[in-house]
Amino acid sequence: MQYLDNYLQFKGGYDYTNVKRNELMKAQGFKEMPFTKTGTTIVGVLFDGGVVMAADTRATAGATVADKNCEKLHVLAPNIWAAGAGTAADLHHQCAHFNAKLKLQRLNLNRQSRVNEVITKLTSKLFPYRGHIGVALIIGGIDSNGPQLASVSPYGNYVYHPFQSMGSGSLAALGILEAKFQDGLTKQQAIDLAIEAIEAGIFHDMGSGSNVDVVAITKDGADYKRNIRSYNAKSYQKQIPYHFPVNNTPALKKYQFDIEKQELTEVGQEMEIIE
Amino acid sequence: MIFNSELSGQQQHTTSPVVTGGSVIALVYKGGVVIGTDTLCSYGSMAAFKNVEKIAQVSKNTLYVSSGEFSDFQQVVKELAKIDRSALQYDDGVHPSPRDYGNFLARLSYKKRCKINPLYLQNVIAGFHNGERYLALVDIYGTYLESNFVTTGFASYFCKAIISNYWNENCTLDQAKQVIRECFKVLFCRDCRAHDMIQLGYVDEQGVHIEQAERVETKWDFNGFKTRANEKLHTQ
Repeated sequence: MQYLDNYLQFKGGYDYTNVKRNELMKAQGFKEMPFTKTGTTIVGVLFDGGVVMAADTRATAGATVADKNCEKLHVLAPNIWAAGAGTAADLHHQCAHFNAKLKLQRLNLNRQSRVNEVITKLTSKLFPYRGHIGVALIIGGIDSNGPQLASVSPYGNYVYHPFQSMGSGSLAALGILEAKFQDGLTKQQAIDLAIEAIEAGIFHDMGSGSNVDVVAITKDGADYKRNIRSYNAKSYQKQIPYHFPVNNTPALKKYQFDIEKQELTEVGQEMEIIE
Repeated sequence: MIFNSELSGQQQHTTSPVVTGGSVIALVYKGGVVIGTDTLCSYGSMAAFKNVEKIAQVSKNTLYVSSGEFSDFQQVVKELAKIDRSALQYDDGVHPSPRDYGNFLARLSYKKRCKINPLYLQNVIAGFHNGERYLALVDIYGTYLESNFVTTGFASYFCKAIISNYWNENCTLDQAKQVIRECFKVLFCRDCRAHDMIQLGYVDEQGVHIEQAERVETKWDFNGFKTRANEKLHTQ
């Protein structure tokens, strides 16, 4: 199939070879497969010396919750994290793919990965697919150019803003961010703001829920707090295995079974309960 | 002769609004109810009328605001004021309470929706009657919801979180007004059909008070907006 790759490379532009096939399939009644989306709230907040990113943990398939505690904060590099909204499969595979790509590049060049590299690579991949790769990402990281925060839309558009939110709960989170964001936040203030913004999404958007995950990226590294806030924890958890309280039941008699003689005899002493 | 247009066979149904008003936010506070709205009427995406008074007093202790088609709003104001005037004719000092207006509007909206010719409005009625605060939302279908806070339009998406975090039903008038101003600040930043001039009105034991239009202050020059990380890189 080498000739096909060469042909496409020289032809340039977009590859429409599958359009006729898709139309035929649709005419024959082929329905597109439904996919798991992450109805989501994700936010990023830039502060003095780094960037904070936060996400909720609910993955939805239509109107049901598919995963009550999924991870939406993905590592792209030790100094660059991505928060993802959109199709769960696309997000997981694209982030894993870019993680590997960046790692290979770091091994080859012996240099720290940069945020603008990630943006360029991502948008170059997404644009030709015309939005069919359903990933809406917030990329945050710190590199030799300072802390940076950008968002990438499924169509390949990117924008650098000091605060971002994406996903179905983005409007609720944006309300909080717009009201409370200031220049010159400290790390703790930025974390609190990000958590409040995610809370807004969790409580006021039906596609977002469960817990809050936060990562704070500074020069010293990435501080990842999984489930830093939990609003729907089970109030009672069954003990497995169940531990019987010691010395709860007084023993009245003790019996002994001799395996060789196959005899059961009573022993006079009070039994000592062994755990 | 039959003047009723419904029998003329040339009936027009409202399919989409033409001149629209923006979001409305109404909050209950310790002594009454306060409503905020902006002063803009949009003609599609054009900011056509920038200084419109949208808070209507329909009786001594009732305020009515709505978002949606502005001509429908003007018509409903006339209908509601008619009710109050006709009560005067009985000259017995009895006036419809705010809840009566809410119920009337719900029935009217539902009737029009059943004829597939709706009043293209999200209506908010606020009042203070017999020591009790009243706030209700009647939507385009005639759904009637009494509540402690009401948002219409984009405010339902952006502002519910701000309201639930920074307001409670027993706050002071100034605190409630401040929450509304904060909400309109956010709306002006992110809603394309919003305006930075807003008007507040409140109704309490003493009656209705409608304030002068005021401007909300918004900040557009954050450091991160002025110097984008990627632009800095390109120019070096």
